[in-house]
Amino acid sequence: MNFLLAAETTEEGGSGLVSPVIGVMLWTLIVFGITLFVLWKVAFPRIAEALDKRQRMIEDSIDTAEKTKREADELLREYRERLSDARGQADEIVARARRTAEAHEQESQADARTKREEMMDQTRRDIEAETRRAIQQIRSEVADLTVLATEKVTRKTLDASDQKRLVDEALAELDFAALANEERR
Amino acid sequence: MSQSRKILLGAGGAYLVLVILAFILFGNAGRQDFVPQEEFELPDWISLGVFTINKAVFYLIVAGILTCFTMVWIARKMEAKPNRVQTAVEVLYGVMRDNITRGNMDDKMAAKWFPFIGALFLFIWFNNLIGFIPLPTGHHHFDLFGLSIPTFGIYAATANVSVPLVLSLLVFFSYTAEGIRAKGVGGYLKSLIPAGVTGAMAGFIFVLELLSNIMRIVSLSVRLFANMLAGHLIILFMAGGLAILLGIAGIGVFLLPIGIALYLFEVGLVATLQAFIFATLSAIYIGGAVAESH
Repeated sequence: MNFLLAAETTEEGGSGLVSPVIGVMLWTLIVFGITLFVLWKVAFPRIAEALDKRQRMIEDSIDTAEKTKREADELLREYRERLSDARGQADEIVARARRTAEAHEQESQADARTKREEMMDQTRRDIEAETRRAIQQIRSEVADLTVLATEKVTRKTLDASDQKRLVDEALAELDFAALANEERR
Repeated sequence: MSQSRKILLGAGGAYLVLVILAFILFGNAGRQDFVPQEEFELPDWISLGVFTINKAVFYLIVAGILTCFTMVWIARKMEAKPNRVQTAVEVLYGVMRDNITRGNMDDKMAAKWFPFIGALFLFIWFNNLIGFIPLPTGHHHFDLFGLSIPTFGIYAATANVSVPLVLSLLVFFSYTAEGIRAKGVGGYLKSLIPAGVTGAMAGFIFVLELLSNIMRIVSLSVRLFANMLAGHLIILFMAGGLAILLGIAGIGVFLLPIGIALYLFEVGLVATLQAFIFATLSAIYIGGAVAESH
């Protein structure tokens, strides 16, 4: 209670506690005015500038990162495309090689077949010729032997007409049909 | 019983013994002629007529210089990669710009009024905070090696009605001017009446709104001033004032921890909160003055 009474008395005395003091008000205006001016013109712009700069930097970084990512994606896509191209090409090359090889094989098989047939034909012809020659030789030998044998038997030299007749007779008796058959087979 | 509980009980017991001892030993000894409001008196320090410098002016100037110096110093040291102090300042700047200013008006108005709102917040905040630093500005003097030194006391310029009143008047004139610029005198006065109110009721409401606008000056200044004054007074009482006033020394020992807790509460919360409230209300008033529907 003492305190409250004292407060009332000092208020009248102008303590400035609850009644405005014009001097303090003027000083407030001046000091706040200067503070406002300094903060407005010096401090706030610098802080704002620094913050804006950082924000720009962050935005730039994000943009750069996004750009790099896009580029990387593009590269990856291109790489994949090329890889699939290369794979396709490789498949084609293999297929072509296979086809070529098959064709080659068939060709060489056909060649071999022709060559073998040719060789067999040749062989057959050779055999035929040889057979004919052998038959011819046998024939002449048989004729000579016939003449010789007839001379020995008859003890006389045969003239040309006799000889011819004898040979023809002997040859007619000999059967060459079997040989001819074999030859044909 | 756990270790920490033992320690707590021991400390509590020792404290109780100390309080009882103080009662027994000193009893009524502390009583002096002590008038608490003397701590808030403003004797002339340097007489300069209307520009007389006293304790409030001294605190104002110190706060103003500290505000400018700190903010300019930090602004000069802004770096791309912030340290802790810079991060804190950036958060503070973001709160002032985005929450307080942009939250209550459109972007164009915010760009225009941010320096004012920001300066208001910082100026009041610094004034509140240095008000809790004990400085040799007390009413009484004590002798130290023959020198008569004022007792250390805490005082805030904002605990004096003149300072918040000037700031409130600045806010009042700012938002009124902004409202008149946006809508013209007639339009602004008309915008005080809420939409949909007509006839005789409109006249009544208009007077009411006009009064409430003027009352804003009182409410803004008294809220800040009374909060700061009450904080200082209660700390003063808890830190010994009450013991002297009642002449019971023991109660001083008992109250001191409460005083410390209240001091931390005032410094940590009230000083910042009051600056924040003042700045936010100013932003709301300025934003509201130009808003379409009042």
